Amino acid sequence: MHRPALARHRQMAALLAIALAGLGLAACAKTASPSSLDTAADVQLTWWTGQSEDAEQAAEALAKEFTQLHPNVTIKASSGAPTTPDLLQKLTAAFASDTYPDVSYAYGAWMGRLADSGKTLDFTEKVTAADIKWDEFPEPARITASPGGRVVGFPALVDVLSLVYNKTLFDEKGLAYPTKDWTWQDFREASKALTDPSRQIVGTSFLVSGDEDAVWRLWPQVWQNGGAISDADGNPTFDSPAGAEALVLWRQMTVDDQSVYLDNTGVKHIPMFASGKMGMIITGPWSLYDITQGGVDYGVTFLPGTDGDHQSISGPDIWAAFDHGDPNRAYWTFEFLAWLTSADVDKRWSIASGNLPLRSSEKASPEFATLIETYPGMDVMEANLEAVVQARPTHDSYVTLSRNVGEAISQVLQGGVSPQEALSQAAAKTRDAMAAE
Amino acid sequence: MAWGFVGPSVAIIVALTAFPAVWSVLLSFQRWDGIGDARFTALRNYSRLVSDADFYAALRHTALFTVIYVPVSILGGLVVAALLAKPIALGAFYRTAIFVPFVASAAATGILANYIFDKNAGIINNALAGLGLARQGFLEDPRQAILVIVTIALWGGLGFNVVVYLAAMQDVPPHLEEAARLDGASSLQVFRHITFPHLRPVTVFVGVWQTVVALQLFDIVYTTTRGGPIGATRTIVYYVYRNAFELADFGQGSAGAIVLFVVTMVLTAGMMAYSWRRNVEAF
Repeated sequence: MHRPALARHRQMAALLAIALAGLGLAACAKTASPSSLDTAADVQLTWWTGQSEDAEQAAEALAKEFTQLHPNVTIKASSGAPTTPDLLQKLTAAFASDTYPDVSYAYGAWMGRLADSGKTLDFTEKVTAADIKWDEFPEPARITASPGGRVVGFPALVDVLSLVYNKTLFDEKGLAYPTKDWTWQDFREASKALTDPSRQIVGTSFLVSGDEDAVWRLWPQVWQNGGAISDADGNPTFDSPAGAEALVLWRQMTVDDQSVYLDNTGVKHIPMFASGKMGMIITGPWSLYDITQGGVDYGVTFLPGTDGDHQSISGPDIWAAFDHGDPNRAYWTFEFLAWLTSADVDKRWSIASGNLPLRSSEKASPEFATLIETYPGMDVMEANLEAVVQARPTHDSYVTLSRNVGEAISQVLQGGVSPQEALSQAAAKTRDAMAAE
Repeated sequence: MAWGFVGPSVAIIVALTAFPAVWSVLLSFQRWDGIGDARFTALRNYSRLVSDADFYAALRHTALFTVIYVPVSILGGLVVAALLAKPIALGAFYRTAIFVPFVASAAATGILANYIFDKNAGIINNALAGLGLARQGFLEDPRQAILVIVTIALWGGLGFNVVVYLAAMQDVPPHLEEAARLDGASSLQVFRHITFPHLRPVTVFVGVWQTVVALQLFDIVYTTTRGGPIGATRTIVYYVYRNAFELADFGQGSAGAIVLFVVTMVLTAGMMAYSWRRNVEAF
């Protein structure tokens, strides 16, 4: 009775093993890649757009248009992940299983790590061609697309942090509107004057979400004070007096003046401004849709400055280009991205989505004029963007640095830790993590 | 022959659970940022874990949560089940109402909790303000946040205990209860001496289940506080998530996950040994 059962058991096990092995081999098998460039050969590119529905439809339409111009190139466009931050995890899994795309949307903060993976294409030489007009892109976008000096993609989105204010609330308190020459002291005083607990109105907001969205808001002041985030090797330098000074101001406003709404998620403060409960908000073009929907009578001006320096910060997102060892795919990936980010096409992409144009040459276009009509103040944000001269580091230690500074901000604004101490601890933690590499 | 039928499902389940588990163990001995190549670093991640203040904080928060959540959920489940075991008006409605939060998704629970406990506009704070009491920080106060998380978790977890206890109470032989009442026992005495001893195996089961659930608390933390304020609600699993996906240190995260696995195994084995020794047939 036992022998036949055991034999059958062995047979099933063997069959299962062979089936699994077969599947494994099939998965590992790759078609051979061509070794020489043939621009007429058929090519299929995979494009992860990282966009939500409406924008994704527009992206797919653009992909089809490119195929009409170049019939041998088909582009498989998809959003890549349910939400844009999830794209990084999708890319991680894709790298592990060798199914990564040719082009993917990427947050600027990921660029250092993506470049270090060794799986990106190198466009450094190709972007110097005259028809690419690489200099039309804002400087922070060019810097972010070139981690370690190698150009690994094209800018996909540019934005900027500017000061948006509620004109109605200013009028009620009889205060003069913010101007392009405002200092951070002016900002602090106005915030205090606008705060009205009886009507649950607050002067302004800051983020205590502990992530990059909180951290990047601190950098413009650090830069204006003459400080830096990190040095060329990625070692943290934000714990200088310039850095501490920036955080001290926010601490005074939050704790002493009680004029700051602390948003622990990053998505509550914009609706709060849009509902007329906040006097001023430091935000970018992405908020103008919600603000206009909320019916607030708003104005836009430059970020407050220090000693006449109003430099702001931009958080560019990049179309990262990946290498599959195929010169045809590499060639067409470059051509596609150059076309997508060209002035004519970008007008239909960036401006249509309510974002700032990628190229300075698009400012003169009728599309941009329409954008300014729909969202007044876009022109001020565009001008503020042109004043951005520095970019966030693209060293891969920035990910850890950002998290540690995010925690420091929360500790200072919510936990009563002194700014210098919190920043020093954050710098020490970052150095420890870097040393463990 | 039997293997032929269950083979495919078993293969899939084994692949989806064993493979990541083994890879997790391997990862805990490596350093990997998820994108580049992994580097073998032996026990480095574990030694960094031992000297990481954040890890101990996560252990403390998880322990605090477990120590409060498990007994309260068991006791609460028992009490509510005892109340619902008798035929009362609208009994079916109450039973459904207490179970629905258990099946609500963590995302829905988190959004709801954010609105209810909001510092400025939440229902509870509005009620407190209406009564003339001070508004509380709740999820934005480092000292209150973990207790609020316990409350939210209880809201969902109680339903499971109630349903299990109700089912177990049906199994209590009614003739024993009748005999006790004939002898003059009050309802409370009947419950304490007849019903409760019969529920001991179920209590052990529910205890183990809720302990494992409590040790793995993540989804409510993720949808409400993201580990904040200032890391006050960072649990062990959130620590693993943070290291792996926020700090891009998959090796460190895996090491934390392995430690959690070992702790859970030890606790579960302990509870099973207890039930085996006391001849409580819980498993």
